[in-house]
Amino acid sequence: MSFGDGFLRFPDLFPGRRGGEPWGERSLVLDVAGGPYRVAGLAAAQEEAVRRKFDGLCRAAGTAAAVAIQVFRAPAADFLERDVRGWEYMLDMEHSRSSVLLAGMRLMARLDWAPGLTGGLWTCEAAGEEWASIFENYFRVLAAYRLLGAGGAVLHSAGVSDGTSAWLLLGPSGAGKSTSSRLCLERGASVLSDDLNAVLPAAGAPRLVRLPFAGDLGGPPGGPPSYPLKAVLRLVKGTEDRLRPISPAAALAGLVAAAPFVNHDPWRHEALLGTLERLARSVPAYELVFSLGGGLWDILRAIPA
Amino acid sequence: MSLSRLISTAWRENLLFSVLVELTYRCNLDCFFCYNDLGLRGEPMQRDEYFRLFADLQEMEVLNLTLSGGEPLAHPDFLVLGARARQLGFVVRIKSNGHALRGELARRIRDEIDPFLIETSLHGATAATHDRQTRVPGSFDRLLANLAEMRRLGLRVKINSTLTAWNEGEIEGMFALADSLGIPLQVDPEVTPRDDGDREPLQVAPSREGVLRLFRLQFERGRAAAGAAAEVARGGDDGTMPAPVHKHCGAGSSGIAIDPYGNVYPCVQWRRPVGNLHRQSIREIWRRSAGLAEVRELTGHVKEMVDAQGSGSHLLNFCPGSAAAQAGSPLALYPAAEQRRELLEQVMAEEAGRPLLPVVR
Amino acid sequence: MSSITLSTVFRRRSDVRYRRIEGEAVVLRQSAAEVLVLNEVGASVLDLADGERSVGEWIEALRSEYDADPETLTHDVLTFAGELEEAGMLEVVAP
Repeated sequence: MSFGDGFLRFPDLFPGRRGGEPWGERSLVLDVAGGPYRVAGLAAAQEEAVRRKFDGLCRAAGTAAAVAIQVFRAPAADFLERDVRGWEYMLDMEHSRSSVLLAGMRLMARLDWAPGLTGGLWTCEAAGEEWASIFENYFRVLAAYRLLGAGGAVLHSAGVSDGTSAWLLLGPSGAGKSTSSRLCLERGASVLSDDLNAVLPAAGAPRLVRLPFAGDLGGPPGGPPSYPLKAVLRLVKGTEDRLRPISPAAALAGLVAAAPFVNHDPWRHEALLGTLERLARSVPAYELVFSLGGGLWDILRAIPA
Repeated sequence: MSLSRLISTAWRENLLFSVLVELTYRCNLDCFFCYNDLGLRGEPMQRDEYFRLFADLQEMEVLNLTLSGGEPLAHPDFLVLGARARQLGFVVRIKSNGHALRGELARRIRDEIDPFLIETSLHGATAATHDRQTRVPGSFDRLLANLAEMRRLGLRVKINSTLTAWNEGEIEGMFALADSLGIPLQVDPEVTPRDDGDREPLQVAPSREGVLRLFRLQFERGRAAAGAAAEVARGGDDGTMPAPVHKHCGAGSSGIAIDPYGNVYPCVQWRRPVGNLHRQSIREIWRRSAGLAEVRELTGHVKEMVDAQGSGSHLLNFCPGSAAAQAGSPLALYPAAEQRRELLEQVMAEEAGRPLLPVVR
Repeated sequence: MSSITLSTVFRRRSDVRYRRIEGEAVVLRQSAAEVLVLNEVGASVLDLADGERSVGEWIEALRSEYDADPETLTHDVLTFAGELEEAGMLEVVAP
């Protein structure tokens, strides 16, 4: 299969540049880690849907933006209809030194470095939750690359906080990110997200940064946007609550596996490894076996600095 | 009766004959020197608006309809619009980069549109040079394969190229490549700014030596065929030179261009909007646009200005649209035109000094 | 070239494109990339070659349009039809 074959009727016509006919004249600015991000070319209904989904993160139209995303029309006929029931939907991506191409359900998109990062998104969805989901699918990828460029990383993870510090819980699908988040929440913790969080370097120590991409828990802003990161933990479901230190190498392996989108990009391997190695060396890392008893929250808070 | 006299009539009487429609600025390549104004905004033309436009153009006895872009194949209604144009009896030309012109799409174009000509673009004789321009790796190999397939399908194809600093050393190779494919190649020696005035494309303008090399090659090739001079001078839409008339060209008199937002221009090069199809029909614009009236008068002044340049003025290949873009006025003599005349005169002098028969020593 | 009579029915070949300009017609035969310019009578013949009307019906239609001697008109139309058929612009539907 070639790039886009699974999603596009005419992969040969995939946009080679950020050009075409926008949906409308509307734009908005999102204040999300790595941004602000300006999203332009929107129809009124599209703007409304994004504002609803990213409620509280939209800034005034005149706000200066670090990254510009342009949205364009694409006809429905450009996309193949796929029955996604029963399978995990993954974007098709093609990587090169200066661009990343994405194809998915009713979306074609680009990230280009020329030399700063810019984004282009082509879709046939003009409004509503369908459009908002398409936008979020693209925005997750864009944010991952943007944050990598800023020396950080987006990670499939749960992020929990006691209001002062934060802990990063790693694991593949089914490892218990949502479950462990809920258990911590029940014990008084706040959850940044049970799906995607960002880590960014800061003077002194890395910080866990809130992202608006949540699974079942977290997401909308409530509280500070970031916290000092106290530890990285690799989750394992068990019948007891137990902590075991792991080596930086083991931590690095877990972090790399948890870095979506960019960990498949051969052009960014070096950058990703460098960033995550620095992270693995700068905070303690553990394997956390946890039970449904909820004792993990006490264990987390007891981890020494 | 002659076609050139008929074209003169069209220019003189303001009879619309040729229309170029930029269907979309979406493109599947990313050529460095592309002239499209990607920042242009407006309400895209809808399918029924294009149908009305085509119907009006048919009633106005327009013969030539060129579908362009961006990449016209990327327009959602490209096949439908092309088929409608065929039904209405236009001579349909398609300006495509050729990247997607293969397989089912190529067959459908042949069967449903039956274009008179497909004009594709070649940017070098090697993958390195061509792909450098398109900025899509693999585009050169793809183009060559698609050209061969188009020929097998019986599609009529032509290759257009623009001489640049990047390909000026490969021009012989480009002609050899086109010859091997059995496809005519036309090379334009001039890089132009973008339609929004951005002069970045001029960074890859060819050198004097590159242009000289092209002209010498064209004369050399033309010696084998009639009309070498015609190959390097500008003709009408299909290359036909009109019989003498009081205007310099047919911009706004026998031809127009239309962008994806319905803006109407005197020609693809002269980006002075003279109306918009969302607000007026093409008939109304053609009859009543003050901008078009001004352009028609201007092309008369352009002819006076060009004629005043003396003998060899036709070698300027003067374009008022290029003049407006490069020098701020459709009447301004811009450097590229002056260089063109100078270099053509030089090559023609070289040709004149060439012995007609081989000298036996 | 076929033998043309007043009952011959012609139609324009499918690859023919043409437009009228001030009474004349510029005609392009796509498959051969040939361009012709026809005078008014030739242009009218092209209009009338719709695959339904016979050459005789053409002459009747043209008689009202052109103040020409009927014999001359008939001769011109038959000649034009033959020339356009030979040039590949027209094809016979029914003899």
